[in-house]
Amino acid sequence: MTFEDTDFRQELLDLKNPLDIKLLKTFLNSLGFDYKPEDVEITMIIYNLNNEIVGTGSLNGNTLKYVIVAPEFRDSTAFPLIVTYLADKALEKHKQCFVYTKPDTAKLFQALGYSLIATAEPLFSVLEFGYKTIKDYQHHLKKQKVKTTTTNIASIVVNCNPFTIGHRYLIEKASEENELVYLFVVSENLSAFPFEIRWKLIEEGIAHLKNVKMLATGPYIVSGAIFPNYFLKHESWSLISEKQAEIDVNIFVEYIAPVLNIKKRYIGCEAYCETTAAYNTAMHKILPKHNIEVIECERISANKDFCKNDYISASKIRDAIKKDTLKDVLTSLPECTKNFLLSEDSAEIRLKIKQRNGRH
Amino acid sequence: MKIIKKAQSGSFESSDIIVLIEPVVEKSGRNIEIDSSVMLEFGDAIAKLILDKLDEYNITDIHLIVKDKGALEPTINARLETAIMRACDLQKGTL
Repeated sequence: MTFEDTDFRQELLDLKNPLDIKLLKTFLNSLGFDYKPEDVEITMIIYNLNNEIVGTGSLNGNTLKYVIVAPEFRDSTAFPLIVTYLADKALEKHKQCFVYTKPDTAKLFQALGYSLIATAEPLFSVLEFGYKTIKDYQHHLKKQKVKTTTTNIASIVVNCNPFTIGHRYLIEKASEENELVYLFVVSENLSAFPFEIRWKLIEEGIAHLKNVKMLATGPYIVSGAIFPNYFLKHESWSLISEKQAEIDVNIFVEYIAPVLNIKKRYIGCEAYCETTAAYNTAMHKILPKHNIEVIECERISANKDFCKNDYISASKIRDAIKKDTLKDVLTSLPECTKNFLLSEDSAEIRLKIKQRNGRH
Repeated sequence: MKIIKKAQSGSFESSDIIVLIEPVVEKSGRNIEIDSSVMLEFGDAIAKLILDKLDEYNITDIHLIVKDKGALEPTINARLETAIMRACDLQKGTL
């Protein structure tokens, strides 16, 4: 059966209306998907003239989610219709939009003109579309590239939420052992401390290291796109985070390391956070294959007599802020962070951390 | 004519073309990216249509991206014109 566009009616869902949510949940559940309205900002839906649901799609920031067409309408134009609508909306506010999907459905998006960035078989592919692409980011990196003849170039990726002496130790170590260090600071604002503040504190804290070049990660390293686990119900959580990490590391080796000639990546060893541990595993697995050495450093302790659970961690600092025990962890903080946290400038952030329940 | 804001027109559907336009700094020239499902056969023809349309509107500085899915010439022209009108803020109410 073929359908003309005019047979379709598109509507935005009212995400505050429980009836609308229920309608969509029923539709998606019947196809084997879980729908979480809190995951998305807008949801659109397509009906035909008989009021049957043809398909749906949602948007969270610049990421397309829940793009699903009912099987009996898959030979119609519903899919491009949904994707066009969502891309329109996303590009109003953002320079590009992303899709996380399974590698076999990635082809459908590619056929529409989305370009594939990376794949982690058999679970994930990332695609993008818009005014800016990863090539523009590479171009940006080339402009920032430090002119040098050495091949002894290392990199670190940090979030520094907030900057501790543990971070400083890792950066100092890399700075000593290499002639040039690229320090990537996660620029997405999903952390308690906003990017500008994290950047400023790091800048102050490592001002004495002349061979460290700071760079913003853009949307391509440690991307904040939430795990699209809704279509992966049957996969284990550890496999999902492993593959998510693989995507990230693949992007790093394919697009970023070659541009900047990076030969080493320094990481802190991870004892408590599963997601970060999955990243480290992925790095050990993939980076050496591309001639990038992974150097995992033990975490340091604020006290001289080191015991195993006493390492410094930014999450402990956030915990302390939450519990109002900041003065106990002051020894883990460099001057710049200490001054910032004790000053009035950070009052708003501290309040926000106290009210939050999440870990980041 | 000057591009004032980013704008788009068209869709991802078959036999259509999607056009994205973005302003650039003055005197940086035309940056045109074309991707088409019939690139080999009609890539040059599409490029010519775009350049002609830009000449017609006297646009020298622009970042323009098109993703074509086999649109016919009138479609391409219409989509280009719409995108340009939107980007230059020339579009009048259509209702």
